[in-house]
Amino acid sequence: MAEPFRLLEALVLLALLAGWLGLLLRRNLFLKLLAMDVMGSAVVALFVLLAARSGLRTPILEAPVLPQPMQAWADPIPQAVILTAIVIGLSIQALLLVVITRLARIDPLLDTASFEQLRGAADGSPSGAGSHG
Amino acid sequence: MADASSALLISWLLLPLLAAFTAPLLPSLARPLALLSALLSIGLGLALSAGLGPWSLELIGPLGVLLQFDAMAAPFVLLNGLVVLAVLLDGWRQPLTGPFPVLLMVLLAGLDSAFVAVDLVSLYVALEVVGITAFLLMLRQLGGLQLWIGLRYLLVGNTVMVVYLLGVALLYMRTGSFRFTALAELTPLAGAATQALVLALLLVALLTKAGVFVSGLWLPRTHGEAPAEVSALLSGVVVAGGLCPLLRLSQLLPQLQPLLVAIGLASALLGVLYALAETDLKRLLAWSTLSQVGLVILDPAVGGVYALAHGLAKAGLFLLAGRVQERNLARWRQSALPLQQALPLWLGALSIAGAPPLLGFWAKEGLSRGLSGPASGVLLLAMVGTAAVYARLLLRPLAPASGGLPFGPALLALVLLGGGLLLAPLPAQGSLLKAAAVLAAGAGLELLLDLGRRAAGGARRLALPQLEQLDDLLGGIAVVGAALMALLLGGGLGWAV
Repeated sequence: MAEPFRLLEALVLLALLAGWLGLLLRRNLFLKLLAMDVMGSAVVALFVLLAARSGLRTPILEAPVLPQPMQAWADPIPQAVILTAIVIGLSIQALLLVVITRLARIDPLLDTASFEQLRGAADGSPSGAGSHG
Repeated sequence: MADASSALLISWLLLPLLAAFTAPLLPSLARPLALLSALLSIGLGLALSAGLGPWSLELIGPLGVLLQFDAMAAPFVLLNGLVVLAVLLDGWRQPLTGPFPVLLMVLLAGLDSAFVAVDLVSLYVALEVVGITAFLLMLRQLGGLQLWIGLRYLLVGNTVMVVYLLGVALLYMRTGSFRFTALAELTPLAGAATQALVLALLLVALLTKAGVFVSGLWLPRTHGEAPAEVSALLSGVVVAGGLCPLLRLSQLLPQLQPLLVAIGLASALLGVLYALAETDLKRLLAWSTLSQVGLVILDPAVGGVYALAHGLAKAGLFLLAGRVQERNLARWRQSALPLQQALPLWLGALSIAGAPPLLGFWAKEGLSRGLSGPASGVLLLAMVGTAAVYARLLLRPLAPASGGLPFGPALLALVLLGGGLLLAPLPAQGSLLKAAAVLAAGAGLELLLDLGRRAAGGARRLALPQLEQLDDLLGGIAVVGAALMALLLGGGLGWAV
């Protein structure tokens, strides 16, 4: 029982690492966001895996059936926690994608280097001027 | 505990959220509701500071939400209410339109929840709510730069929260609990190595959220380029969302303190160095925030009051920075500042520099009392640097009073003065002398630097490395994470204290 869990844990950590490397190394903003989502999904998978350690049966009781302590229920706590995190992750991803569609008007290729050079000319003050060497 | 007080505390937490969602339905009520939410936060902050409580609130069983209304949360809750009140007062003459009041109230509620949460999952939710709200506030102006800054902020914030969740998962796997206190039980249950790993994951996330050291490199540009009233909120209270849990952890696990002292002092020096080389007013204030949050995490006993003193002063300074027309510090002395703006600016700047009898002086006093050895020498250096940073803002010619009084900054300056007088009416002679010496050394340093700047013709600046590209921010987080892991696993931190 323990062996497959170890293997799956290792795979989850590998996915997390792959996401982190993508975030660091990709120059395209859209791919950076995807890499962030890979990291998020890896952590979701870890919580699901965590819940499955005590068993695989869905922790929902049907009305006529009394709880049977013998049965191998999945742990509902990590599932409940990660449900919240999934919702939050989804909304953040949506917000970031909206920003990206607007940033694509500045550089359709979404290369991060072209956004680093943006300066605050919009507010009419000499904001960014001379602040970068 | 009694049911009545728990019902009151829950409604205290929920009311700003309820108000936030009522405001779009009844726009005429938006301002009174926001005002009420801020006053409620101030009220509870004062009650907790006065020694009422502590109350602890457990919802949905032992694995559910645990909230702690105690002395640690008190200065942060108070700061939250005061800064939101000041931002409201500052914009009193303009109509309160659009999503701004809603976001303001959600931010207030999210931050208050982050300050009282003592289980990791509630803290996660609260910090994500704060992060999304702060992001939406940054987009008050929809320029290309604002979009980019907002995207960076949310991207970095969400990435570290994923790392945080990984730590939470490991903690639950070993202890079956999400409580802060479970972190202390990790060593006997799962060994010191697991505890070091979990702590490193949680700390790197909280340090990034709080804007400390190289993991906080996102901060200067974000706070420098956001609209003035949003910068005031960000530098005043939003960073505190990471600071308060850090102080709670530091109090719970004393073995973390040498580590936090080392990172905090490094952050203080880094921020001061870049602030001294800065030519833009808002960016100077933002770099100074990076340095001051480093000082907050030095000592859990004084950190809350220090965060309060700094947050009040910095929020006022950012609100004023939105009013003074000149952002370029090279031209700072060529035009005069009307008296109504100069007074709050002086009080705020002097408080952060540590001049008696302001609140900042009292907080700095407590901080230097808690440190000894080489750490106190570094702290002194950071204080002199900070005094030099703010000496630059003070040197501006004065114009006769004109225009209206800026209510928000004036209120914050009054609180700084009143709080200082209340806490330390008669400071000891030794500490007065020390404060005077630090201020004089800072002023001297600023004069030297000014001569240097003039000799260079104003064209060349100190050539510090540019550290604020998106890849630098992510790299900074990786560096801090790796260093935390190495130091926690190695355990060799005796040199820092």
